[in-house]
Amino acid sequence: MGIEFFFMMFVNGLSQGMGIFIVASGLSLVFGTLRVINFAHGSFYMIGAYIAVSLSTLLGTGSLFSFLLLMVLAPPAIALLGLSLEISLFRRIYGKEHLLQLLLTYALLLFLDDTCRLIWGGRYLGVSRPVILAGSIDFLGHSLPTYNIFILGMGALIALGLWLLLYRSRSGNFIRAATSNPRMLGALGVNVSKVRTGAFVMGAWLAGLGGVFMAGLGTINLGMGVDKIIECFAVVIIGGLGSIGGALLGSLIIGVGLTLIQLPFGKLAVVFPYIAMALILIIRPWGLFGKTER
Amino acid sequence: MKNYRSRVFIGILALVVAIGIAQMKNALAADTIKFGFIGDATGTGAELYRGQKQGLDWFFEEANASGGIFGKKLELIVRDAKLKADVGAALARELILDQKVDFLLGGISSAVCLAVSNVAKEFKKPYMIQSTNTSTLVEEAFHKYVAQGQPNTNMLGRGLGYFVGKSGFKSTAYIGNDYTFGHTLWKSYSDYLKKNAPHVELKKSFWAKQGEDDFTPFIQPLMAQNADIVYCTLWGGQLPAFIKQATPYGFFKKSKMATLFDLIVLIGSGTDMPEGLLGYSVAPFYAIPTPEMKVFNEKFYKKYNEWPSDYVILSYDNMKGLTEAIKKAGSTDPDRVMKAIEGLRFVGLRGPMYYRPEDHLSSAGLYMGYTAADPKYPFRILKDVTYVPGEAVWTPVEDLKQLQPKK
Repeated sequence: MGIEFFFMMFVNGLSQGMGIFIVASGLSLVFGTLRVINFAHGSFYMIGAYIAVSLSTLLGTGSLFSFLLLMVLAPPAIALLGLSLEISLFRRIYGKEHLLQLLLTYALLLFLDDTCRLIWGGRYLGVSRPVILAGSIDFLGHSLPTYNIFILGMGALIALGLWLLLYRSRSGNFIRAATSNPRMLGALGVNVSKVRTGAFVMGAWLAGLGGVFMAGLGTINLGMGVDKIIECFAVVIIGGLGSIGGALLGSLIIGVGLTLIQLPFGKLAVVFPYIAMALILIIRPWGLFGKTER
Repeated sequence: MKNYRSRVFIGILALVVAIGIAQMKNALAADTIKFGFIGDATGTGAELYRGQKQGLDWFFEEANASGGIFGKKLELIVRDAKLKADVGAALARELILDQKVDFLLGGISSAVCLAVSNVAKEFKKPYMIQSTNTSTLVEEAFHKYVAQGQPNTNMLGRGLGYFVGKSGFKSTAYIGNDYTFGHTLWKSYSDYLKKNAPHVELKKSFWAKQGEDDFTPFIQPLMAQNADIVYCTLWGGQLPAFIKQATPYGFFKKSKMATLFDLIVLIGSGTDMPEGLLGYSVAPFYAIPTPEMKVFNEKFYKKYNEWPSDYVILSYDNMKGLTEAIKKAGSTDPDRVMKAIEGLRFVGLRGPMYYRPEDHLSSAGLYMGYTAADPKYPFRILKDVTYVPGEAVWTPVEDLKQLQPKK
């Protein structure tokens, strides 16, 4: 195994990390802005995948255009779901103790899981990749799936888009201000409630988009949201609450770490994200890019 | 005063009605034999659960239509353990203590079944394992109230080891789930090869968490093993996901893969499934040659517009075995029924089979074959199928005695 083999492993890890980042960035945004532990974020991801499957039966599969349509149509549906839940449920638990938030959002996750079972049943479903993304390219003597490169690229675009939104736009300024000092923001005449709703809806949109990518990557099934949310929480803790840059770095650490650990310490792969999380909590509890709580 | 008297009267009336309803329920209950099914309806096992439920519903409908057992109807009470062992154990207690079930029926997850088996042992309640393969249930964790109706992990691993050993493969690697099911399969497979086919080099084993959906970290390192054949024991939705993700890496051009090809995986992969993969099934509807299976297939397809999965067939056969044991015992007494199971011979959809007295393990075997297209079905099936009888690959009695708890 030469250096090119390990470089390919690294690239594969980056691709996996980007897949995690797309979902985890939404959770980080919600957690950072609203200080809400939203277990149901995993359900948004799962429902996004299921909606992509249903839409693909109408739009057809095989063409890049129909897959791009899934990316355009499915996430707003999840954003709408997020909006309705934020207005009806989440607003009531802002500022409440975390245990209450955990209980409510976990109950919501179970409710949404069972709703998905009633609608889509228990079958394993998926979306066929567009033909142009179904193959692979030869890279340094190894095959690299085109779909993985696509996810890597999309993840980078989303990271850039989020940075531009949060640091180069008025809305982003409001979101960051709402994170650090919502009272002051309110005193300046900004509708903080709308800012929070916007952040929540954006988080749901990102989770839905992650679900669309997952539908093309593998198979989707009930309960996949729970596994994803645990991974996302690890990312958010490693990267720091509310930090998109931290979520990106945390996701890449987990993705690359999981890939590179396979050969020397494969049996530790299952616990690697939690070891990383525990180490961060011990050494730097506010995360790599987080801020200490006053 | 008048109000007080009315309230007392209404309270007493309500109490009498409540007692009456409870007595009626008990009276009805006394006319039924209750079976508590702890399945895994949520999560990656959902589709397998659906098959189990279909098989159970079919059997119960048939049995009750022909008068039940001893003139009593069979009643099925269903619970969802959600693949969680602690939930399964709590549900088992609830079924035994509150619902007063006579028998427990197993789900999919090995971890759940092991936890429920402990509860069954504690309360001396017969527990029929319908689909879970882990051999631990009838070996290290065996007790007199448990029975297993399908080839277990030791049998599957040995069966595949036998085929790999004689098929000219020179090296093998492994990928499975990091829990008891995955580990027992690897152990039985690798132990068999070490003992009987030492010319097959054992490469690395890789462990994915249960519920893993992205196999990107595993595929390249697995390919780097340059193994002739990879034994993959991922199951449920994970296996089609692995196949979908591994194909663009050129995985199947480099190595053969061997795995469990139940109907759910075959349908889930559709024509994405490569042909020529070696694998096994424990109840392939298309390859079981019995007349009972043929009739069942036609009736099932007519009713559900789909073919019966392995889990439908296993559940049906397990109920057949259990009810035959109840009839032989002449009672639902747990000790008498479990005594009746020992050596019990009966005919199920899979043909004639019996339960070995030493571990209550069914003699039903496995079906080895190669994936191939068939014009009758929109999915691959196994062809060139060889039936491996259970007796050829189950743990020998002398080894069993070393593994089972001492009495």
